[in-house]
Amino acid sequence: MSVLIDIILAILAVYLAIQCLLAPRLPQTMFLFFAFGLALALAWVRLGAVDVAIAEAAIAAGFLGVLMIDALRDFSHALNKRQGNPTDNQKTLSGNGTKLPWLPGVALGLGLGLFLLIALEAIWKMPDGGGLTVLAGEMLPVSGVGNPVTAVLLNYRGYDTWLEIGVILMALLAIVATGGTEVYRRPGMAARDPLLRQVILFFTPILFLFGAFLLYAGKAAPGGAFQAAVLWGAMGILLHLGGWPVFAVIPRWLRQLILALGLGAFLLMGFLFMAGGGALFEYPPAHAGVLILIVETLAAISIAAALTAIYTLFNQMNEEPDQADSTN
Amino acid sequence: MTITELMTVILLVVGCFFFLAGTLGVLRFPDLFSRLHALTKADNLGLGFIAAGMALHIASPWAALKIFFIWFFTLLASSTSCYLIARFQRGQDQAGKRKEGA
Amino acid sequence: MYMNHFFILVIVFLLLNIALGLFRVWRGPTVADRLLTTQLFGTTGMAILLVLAGYLKDLTLLNIAITFNVLAILLVIALVQVRKNKKGETP
Repeated sequence: MSVLIDIILAILAVYLAIQCLLAPRLPQTMFLFFAFGLALALAWVRLGAVDVAIAEAAIAAGFLGVLMIDALRDFSHALNKRQGNPTDNQKTLSGNGTKLPWLPGVALGLGLGLFLLIALEAIWKMPDGGGLTVLAGEMLPVSGVGNPVTAVLLNYRGYDTWLEIGVILMALLAIVATGGTEVYRRPGMAARDPLLRQVILFFTPILFLFGAFLLYAGKAAPGGAFQAAVLWGAMGILLHLGGWPVFAVIPRWLRQLILALGLGAFLLMGFLFMAGGGALFEYPPAHAGVLILIVETLAAISIAAALTAIYTLFNQMNEEPDQADSTN
Repeated sequence: MTITELMTVILLVVGCFFFLAGTLGVLRFPDLFSRLHALTKADNLGLGFIAAGMALHIASPWAALKIFFIWFFTLLASSTSCYLIARFQRGQDQAGKRKEGA
Repeated sequence: MYMNHFFILVIVFLLLNIALGLFRVWRGPTVADRLLTTQLFGTTGMAILLVLAGYLKDLTLLNIAITFNVLAILLVIALVQVRKNKKGETP
């Protein structure tokens, strides 16, 4: 009977995904995407992947929604400038005047087809006995942690995780490269609404504590560095929105140090292991638990800082000068 | 069926009823503010009943404490977002009136 | 074991509530109407997660509930603060 939940979830998720693409007004897609994130998080729970569910809820429903709000604002602003029509700022996704109007559709179709083929092949060729699950479970005591997902992310495939931290930093660099550095023009601009200030001040320690909890719970339960990082990033974004841009007013060298901390410390540790006689990122089994904890903490701090910076830079990129000091 | 299970069922059913009331309010009320009012109050009350029912079912004190905190933070978050949305809409209305009235 | 069936019914009911709430995303004449559906989704989603936690007997699901709660309000705050800067443009 529990298949009933799964059927409804599946229908809901697919329906929401299609409507995200086809919604006639862009503000609708934002909220549809939020609902889609919720449906996906529930789907992950039903599939038994609670770590992914937490990450999905945090990133899709939280961080991406917030980024999309800014993307929506910038998009309509650019359209207003181009067309000079101030009240008509809800356009569809069809571009105005692209030379090859069929190109996005063809690319999308090809991409979807390719993805379906790969997915079908993966399902077809799934080995009996769950593939590497048994091996991962057997090596768990040696890996230093109790949660197999954390073991895979931080120990067995630590190299991939290290590169993923790098990818986030590269996204930040891309935003900086497209003109995001001449920002932080209004550091003292606090939210005038007293309730908003109090709520942000109230939620900041809660976010910090809960992020720390998820980080250290990742050892034996679902959680880990990335989930904690998104929560801490949300804390930074909230503070910025409330008018305390804490990440902006610290000196530049400190900002860069925090951003590079996760990537650099992880790599340094990898090299130290090599100096000690192992391979790159091969933890000595005796201290693996503590070392993984250190790496996770530093990585979480770095990723959180990167997410906050991505949002704040994106937020302030397309502001007009006369809107820099809005009232109320 | 034990008394605990009966209580859980009753609490969950009452919670579902309030959720339905909230959703109907969102769909059928004529104005944004009335919709907001109905949704925030009814949904949070429904969540409170469901939280109570589940805390009763999962008979562990730590879980009950955690569920209580979830409910408490949800109350704070929901009332704040209700207030923010209402104030935002009021600002939009006033700006609209200023544009056409001036 | 009848409890499990009952839990499934409750979850299905809440999912249908979410599906009904989607109407407001379509119809809602203003952005604020669509914004309040995020509150609907957030609170209903949390209720679903609470019931799932009891049904699957997995207490770690409560962490997802907290995460969702906090990020729903982040979405509202972000939209309200950002849209405030557009001087009186209708959404």
